[in-house]
Amino acid sequence: MNYLIPLMVVVPILAALIVNIFGGKDKTVKAISLVVAIAIPLIAILAAVGVQYFGGHDPTLIASSLPSNLVGALAASYNTGIVYVFENIERIFIFLMGIVAFLAVLTYFAEKKEVSGPYLYLIFMGIASVTALMLSNDIFNMYVFFEITALTQVGIIVASSTEDNYEIAMKYMILGAIGGPMLLLGVGFILGTIGSVNINDIIYALSNNFVNPYSPGLVIGFALILFGWLYSAGLPPFHTIKSAVYSKARPNGSAILQGFSVLCMLAFGIAMYKIFAYIPYFNTAIIGFAILAMVLSIAMSAMEVDFRRMIAFLAVGELGFIALGFGIGTQYSIAAALFQAANEIVITALLFIGFGTVYYLTKTSDTRKLGGLIAADSTMAIMVLLGGFALAGVPPFNGFQSKLMLVQAALDAGYTELAVLAIIVSVVIFFTFVKAFHTVYLQPKPKELKFAHEKIPKATVFSVAVLLIICLVLGIFPNIVTDIFIPFAGGLI
Amino acid sequence: MDLQMASLFASGAFIIIGLFAAVFIDNLIKKIIGIAFIEEGANLFLICLGYKAGGVVPIFLPGMSADWFAANSAYPLPQALVLTSIVIGASTLAVMLALAMVLYRKHGTLSVSEMMGDEK
Repeated sequence: MNYLIPLMVVVPILAALIVNIFGGKDKTVKAISLVVAIAIPLIAILAAVGVQYFGGHDPTLIASSLPSNLVGALAASYNTGIVYVFENIERIFIFLMGIVAFLAVLTYFAEKKEVSGPYLYLIFMGIASVTALMLSNDIFNMYVFFEITALTQVGIIVASSTEDNYEIAMKYMILGAIGGPMLLLGVGFILGTIGSVNINDIIYALSNNFVNPYSPGLVIGFALILFGWLYSAGLPPFHTIKSAVYSKARPNGSAILQGFSVLCMLAFGIAMYKIFAYIPYFNTAIIGFAILAMVLSIAMSAMEVDFRRMIAFLAVGELGFIALGFGIGTQYSIAAALFQAANEIVITALLFIGFGTVYYLTKTSDTRKLGGLIAADSTMAIMVLLGGFALAGVPPFNGFQSKLMLVQAALDAGYTELAVLAIIVSVVIFFTFVKAFHTVYLQPKPKELKFAHEKIPKATVFSVAVLLIICLVLGIFPNIVTDIFIPFAGGLI
Repeated sequence: MDLQMASLFASGAFIIIGLFAAVFIDNLIKKIIGIAFIEEGANLFLICLGYKAGGVVPIFLPGMSADWFAANSAYPLPQALVLTSIVIGASTLAVMLALAMVLYRKHGTLSVSEMMGDEK
C-alpha cells in the first residue's frame, strides 16, 4: 500500500484549512502556502504507481467470505469502497498542476502585499479536488469532487474582486447547478443498470455481458454524463461562460482555473472512454463538440478587444483540440490529446500570468487603451510572445509537437478534413495572438495610458520563465511524456 | 402503480419543474428554488434505485442468515450516495443564496435579465 497516494489529496486539504485559520498572519500563511505548493508536485513525483482502497478492500480478498448465493455472481467482484488508481499519467498531470499552482501562488504573493486566507483556501481546496478527480476510479466520487471543484472555481472568481465578478460567478453557479445534477442522474442511471459506480466494475459487467450494453439506462446515462463533461470542460454550449470565468479571475487565479478545467475534462473524458466507447456515434458526438469548440472559441477570440477575454477564448479553443484527439479515437490521437492537455495546462498558465502583467502595470485589459508596453519590460514581452508561439504550435515548442501528433493522427485515421481544420485553427490562433501582442506591446503608447505599477515583480518573471522552460523542454524532448501517453492510450482503446 | 414507480415519476416531475424554473423564470430566487428542485429530484431518483418492495433495512442483525439477508435487504449504496449528494446540494444552495444577496444589494433587483444586462 502506498500512503503517498491519499496524501496527494490530504496535504492540500489540510493546507487549505490551516491557511484559512491563520488568515490574518501574512508571514505564516505565506510560509505554509509555499511549503505545501512545493510539496504537492514533489509527492506526485515520489509516489509509487499503485492502487489505494478506502474503507472497502480488494474484492479478490473478500470474495471467499460471501454468502453462497453471491459466490460467482457479478456482485462478488465489486469493489466495496472508493478506489484511487495512481499511474504515470496521473503523475504527469498532478505534477504539472502542482507546478502551475506553486508558480501562481508565488505570483500572487509577489503582486499582493496582504494575502487573503480564503483565496488561498480556495486554491488549495481546488487542487485537492481536481487531484482526487484524477485519482478516483469511481464515477460518483468523481461527481463529488467535480462539484467541489466547481464551488472553488466560483469562490476564486468571487475572491478576485474584479468588475462584475459576482454576476459571472452566479451565472456559472446556475449552469453548474444544472450540469451537476445531470451528471448525478447519469451516475444514477448507470448505478440502476449495473449496480456499481466503480469504473472497473462497470467495465467488467459490460465486457462479460452481465448487462445489455445498449440498455436505455446506459445510453441515457451516457448522454447525461456527456452533458456534465461539456460543462466541466467548458466546451460548447458552455464556452462563453467558461471564458468569462477565466477573464474575471486574477491572472494567477485564471492560470489555476484553466488547469482545473483541463483536469476535469481529462478525468471525465478518460472515464467516458473506458465505459462508453462502444456506443455508436460516441466518437462522432465528441468530434462534433470539438469542432464547435475550436471554431466558435477561436472566432470569438479573434473579435475580442479585451486581451484577458481573448486568452480565455483561446484556452477554451485549445480544449477543442484535446476533445478532437479523443473523438478520433485511435491510440495515437488519444496520446496526442493527452499531450495537448499537458501542454495546455502549461502554455495557458504562462499566457494568463504573462499577459496578466499588463493588467498589473496598467489596470486595464482593453487593447484599445494599451500600447508601447515593450518599453516597460522587454524580457516579459519576449517571453509572452514565445508563449503565444507555443500556443499556436510554432516549433520548437511543445504546442507544435502535440498539434503535429494530432494532425498526423487525423490523417492516419482518414480524417483529412479534421487535419486541415486543425491547421487552419492554429493559423488563426497565431494571427489573433500576434495582432493582440502588436497592439499591446509594439504600437505607440497612448498618451492617456497611466501605470499603476512601475515594475513587474521578479517572482512573476521567474514564474513565466519556468513555464517557458517547461514548454521548450517538452517541445525538444516530447518523449518524456509521449512514452507514457502512447501505451496508456493503447490500453484505453 | 407501486411505490418505486410513483417515486420515479415524482423525481422526473421535480427535475422538469426545476429545469423550467431555472431556464425560463427571471426571478433569481425562483431560479434558485428551481435548481433545488432539480437537485432533490436527482436525489429522489437515486433513493428509488435502492428500494426493494417488502425488503428490510440493510443492517445485518444477529439471527439473520447471510443468504436471507442478501436476498431481502434493500440496496444500501444509493442511500450512502444520496447522503453525500444532499450535503453537496446544500452547499451549492448556500453559495447561490449568498451570491443572490450580494447581487440584490448591488443591483436592487432580483431580475436576472436586469442584473446581467448591466454586466459588461
